[in-house]
Formats: sequence, structure tokens, C-alpha cells
Amino acid sequence: MKPRVLVQRFFFQPLIKFVFGLNILGRENLKELPQFILISNHNSHLDTLILLSALPCYKIQNTHPLAAKEYFSRNKLLFNFMNWLLQPVWVDRENPSDALAEMQTLIEKGHNLILFPEGSRGEAGVITEFKSGIGRLASNNPDLAIVPAYLEGPERSFPKGTSFPIPLCNHLTISPARLLTGNPQSITEHLHEELMTLAHEEQSARQQRPVPHSKPVHVAILGIDGSGKSTLSRMLAELETQSCCLVSDSIQNYKNGKPCDTQPLLLDSVRKWAGKKAKQAKSLKSYKIPKLTELILRDKLLSDINRWYRPDAVYLDGAPLLNMTAWAVLYKEQFFNRETCIKIIDALTGVSIKKRDPIFKQFPELKTLRKIGNLHKPDVMIFLDVPAEVCISRIESRGEDKQVHETTEKLTRLRDAYLLICDVLAEQAHIIDGNRPLVDVVADATKVVQNEN
Amino acid sequence: MLQFKQLRYFLVIVLAILASIFLNSGISILILALLSFVALREYLSLLDIRIEDRFGILVSYLSIPFLFYLVWINWYGLFIISIPVYTFLIVPFFIALGGRTRGITFSVGAIDFGLFFFVFCLGHLAYLIAYAPMMAALIIPIIAICDMLARKFPTKHFYYALLSLLIITPILVLVGPLVEIPPLLSLCLSIIIIALVYKGHFTLNAIGEDLGIRPDRLTPGRGLALDSLKAYLYSIPVLFHCLRWILHIGDPK
Repeated sequence: MKPRVLVQRFFFQPLIKFVFGLNILGRENLKELPQFILISNHNSHLDTLILLSALPCYKIQNTHPLAAKEYFSRNKLLFNFMNWLLQPVWVDRENPSDALAEMQTLIEKGHNLILFPEGSRGEAGVITEFKSGIGRLASNNPDLAIVPAYLEGPERSFPKGTSFPIPLCNHLTISPARLLTGNPQSITEHLHEELMTLAHEEQSARQQRPVPHSKPVHVAILGIDGSGKSTLSRMLAELETQSCCLVSDSIQNYKNGKPCDTQPLLLDSVRKWAGKKAKQAKSLKSYKIPKLTELILRDKLLSDINRWYRPDAVYLDGAPLLNMTAWAVLYKEQFFNRETCIKIIDALTGVSIKKRDPIFKQFPELKTLRKIGNLHKPDVMIFLDVPAEVCISRIESRGEDKQVHETTEKLTRLRDAYLLICDVLAEQAHIIDGNRPLVDVVADATKVVQNEN
Repeated sequence: MLQFKQLRYFLVIVLAILASIFLNSGISILILALLSFVALREYLSLLDIRIEDRFGILVSYLSIPFLFYLVWINWYGLFIISIPVYTFLIVPFFIALGGRTRGITFSVGAIDFGLFFFVFCLGHLAYLIAYAPMMAALIIPIIAICDMLARKFPTKHFYYALLSLLIITPILVLVGPLVEIPPLLSLCLSIIIIALVYKGHFTLNAIGEDLGIRPDRLTPGRGLALDSLKAYLYSIPVLFHCLRWILHIGDPK
């Protein structure tokens, strides 16, 4: 036995086994093969040594890995040592065809090869596209067994850009050999797919640090009663590709457009109760307090949703901030204009306003509301513009009891107020004509949401 | 349920006990130092480490020979503070040398836990085996029995406690005097073992779940060491201190 094989057998193999804790799965897949090309993913300098230590002793002698010439030739001593120990096929990256010819000669001699079809080490843990060399070799030698192997661990033990390895466990999975025929490109693609599948099956589940959570996008669907905002918000939630939460009369989480488990929130039960009280109100005066409570709780719920469900997007059936602002028109129409509208929004979202500002005299409720806390301003607003008469007819067709404000006159005023708000918040607001078939409305709304994302 | 491969690390501990009784305590300490290395390596492999933690990890491995050398020379005073004082101060420094600050608190905490559990607690086991091998020869199989029962009844706390009490207390009380453990202390120890093995299972199962250890895919490097050693590592430090406090094991004569 040659000295270089002895060095590998009695120095590198035990080193890899005991320091880098190598576990090999499927070693038997290599044992019976007379000749093979072993291909694997490449993330580290340890890869070659690990693959060689998986081979039986008598095969190490006739096995040649591929190595990049320009990388190792920087240090002459290292180059000579590598040349002696591994007897690699040196690849000149500018002229790879020489290496291909050399590999073909070795194959004809009956030797084995270790190839990293990705070419270079690349980003840790990512399998990139394969270079075409492996496809060409396999296509030229249809009787040659090709063995895909998946290496996990070297990208953590000795990743690219680090100067020393650290002892961490490594896993090597060797899959059964394949005989491939066809054109080089299809073989390359096939092998890439095989390795990806192997990686997917064999990857360890590891601990993962929580990724810093970004604030979810709040999409509010506005509109007067009967404009179809509940339906639209539900449909948008169902069309959302990421995880999202729908805040309508009840709360529902969606994942990939399908409703999923939603842990009940205590605040939501209180909110539903307040909402029920508001619906039963006989006059605008008795409607005011329960509705305000409901809206404040609905806003507080947004914080809870963010904390407990962590959705990527939240679809709101009406935004508490804007509903409150618009409702000012029903109670204090004489003060409601563009200027007060801006001020109300500022006051509710926590922008500092002088204490003696006339707005607090016109709307004394604002003082209390400011004490309760700031309300969320939605990132995207979609206003469903539907004439009040249409809405009333829709509400009547539902056959439910009409709420106290559901008259043509009041809804018209509300609609004007919403339009004014949309004008004020022109950056976020999008007005969609809601008096059309639902499909068109949903298509338009989806476009708006996609553009905003 | 206990699988045969999970006995592997129990057998290593048994080997260390046999080495300590029949050969030399130094050999048993060496065996346990290697076990500590394997277990710590597995834990760190499962952890989500940052590339900047590499210096810290290298230094944490160096704490293994340091600690086990102290066991060998029986310098109890330094042994007991080596990890909680020196290593816990040195390793964060080397992690901080890595440069990037984002996530450093997590790294320090996670690596320190690994050191505590797989080096310090295993160091206690080494101390017990090196200086009271006969007691260890009684206690380790007792813990193994409790470990097995805890795996058999993962949710039935009452059955576990009752069965363990019925099985291990008579053994401990009867065999205890042969290895110089008085019967009353044996009784106390049996209760401590039952409680700690269960706590060990509960705690380490939670940690194992976060580390991505899957019970159906326990292989070396993917959680086998952590899973097999949890009962021993959780209970041995407390038992060791009880025995040391009352029976003065390991005291220089």
C-alpha cells in the first residue's frame, strides 16, 4: 500500500471520524461498485477529505478528486502536499477542457473520480446549479456508475471565508448508484434534482433562531354598511399567499389562503359583546358608546394579533381610526371639514397637537380617546364606493334588522365623509367602484394590494 | 421507549466505572472527557450558531481538558468554580471577539448552557466515578432504571413515581450499606433520583424539541447523546453534592 493511502487511512480518516464526528449513511452503496464517479454538494475544504474517508481503503488509491488549480497553487508547499496526498485532477478554471480530457483518460484506466458539480464552494448550505462537466462525462461513459452523495455539516465546521475548522458533527448520505444515458444537459439537470431531493430528505432539523418579525401590513377595506367590505376583505384574505389575519366580525387566521387554527383572544369576546350592544341601539346617542368601545377594542386587538399570531398581513373590515373619523360627520356635521378631518386623524394617531386647539372643544371625545392610546393607521386603504341607495337595497335584501344609522340620508353623509378622508390620506387610499360585479371589484382590490407590497 | 442504541452512552459510563474500579481512575476520567467532547460537539452541531461564534466554540472545547485535568488532580475547589467562573467569563469574551453584535446574547447563553450541561455536569459524573466508583456502580444503574421508567411512562407521573419507588428504594436501601451509603441516606437519595430524572426528562425534552431532535431519527450527531444522557446529567450533580457533603467522598485523606 502506498504511503499516501496509509496517511489517509491512519491519520485523516480517524481525524475526520473522531474530531468531526462523521456519520455515514449508505456506505454499502459504494462497496460493490467496480468503478464510479462520486458527486456531492460542495461548501468546504473538508468535503474532499470526508468523501475520501467514506471509501474503502483499497479504493482510495485509485480515486481522484477534482481541485481548483489557481486556489491551491498560491501556496507551493500546500500544492505539493495536496498533489502527493490526493493526486487530484487539477482544474484550470479558465481552461476546463484539459481537465475533462484528463478525467476521461482516468476513467478509461478504470479509476474513480470525486466531483463537485457546483464548481466552487459557494454560499453555505445552498446547492447551486451544476456545471455541465458531469453531464458530458456521464454521457460519454454510459456504463459508468454515478453516485450522488449529500454532505451536511462541513458548511458549519469549516465554511468558506474562515481560517480554521471547528469540531462539529458531519453527516454523509450516499445514495444508490445510477447509470445515466442521454444528452449532457438533461443528465446534469437530473443529477441536480436528485441531489436536491436527497438534501431535502436528509437535512437535519436544527434549532432556528427567531427571525426579527417585521410589522405586518395593515390593509383596511372601508365602505359604508352594505357596500360589501366584509365579503371583499374575506376574499382578499383567501387570495393572500402569505400568512394573514382577517379582522371582521370575528378573527380568522389564513395560511396560503386556507383558514387555519386561531387561538381565541379574550379581548375579541369583549369586542363582540360591545358590537352586539351597538347593533341593538335604538338611537344614535345610545349607539355612540358601544360603537366607540367596539372600535377601540378592535384597534387594541391589532396589537394582540401582531403579538400572538405574527401574520404577514392583516385585513381589516373597516379601520377603527377612519371609522371614528368618518362617524364624526353623523354627530358633529357642522364642524366636519377637511381641516378638522386632518386634525382628528392626527389627534388619534398621537401627533402632538396644542392643548388649547379648538378641535378639542369641537370634539371633546378626542381628549379621552387620546388618553386611551394611539390608534393604528392602516398602511393601505381601499374604499368601496357604492351609492347609499344601492347599499340600502342590499341591506334590505339580507333581511336583517336595520341598524340605527342605516338610512339613505345618513349613509350618504357617511360616504361623503369617507371620500373626504380618502382625499386627505391620498397616499394610502385607493377608491374602487363597488357597484360592479364582485369579480371585478376583487380583481381591482388584488391589484392594489399587490402594487402596495 | 428505550432503544438499544440509546444504551450506547450508558455502556460508555459503565465502561468508565469498570475502568475506575479495576484499572485506574485516570482512564475513567479520559473516557468521560471523550464522552463530554462527543456530547458537547453534538449539542453545538444542533445549535443555530453564527459564524462569529467560532472562536468561542473553539475555546469551549478547550475547557474540557482543563476541567477533567482538575478532576484528575482532585483539586475540588477549582473544579467547582472552573466552569461557572472562568469559562463563563472567558467564552463570552471570545464570542465577542467575533465582531458582530447581533444575536450575541443568544449565542453566549446557548453555548454557556452547553458547557454547563455537557462539561460541568459530566465533570461531576467523572468526579463521582473517579473517587467513589463503588457508589457510582450502584447509582448509575439505578438512574438507568428510572430513565427507562420515565421513557415508558412519559405522561403518567404517578405510575412512574410509584414504580420507581417500589423498584429502586429496596435496591438502594439494601445494597447501599455495602458501598458505604447509610440506609436513611439511601432512602433520601432514591427520592431525589426519582424527582430529578423526571425533571431532567421534562427539561431536556423541551430543549431537545427546540434543537430539532426528532425521536424517530435519533442518530449520533442528531441528538442521540443529548437524549441518552439527559437523566444522568440532570441528577448526578445533585447526588454527587449530597454524597460529598454527607460522606465526604473525594476529600484528600
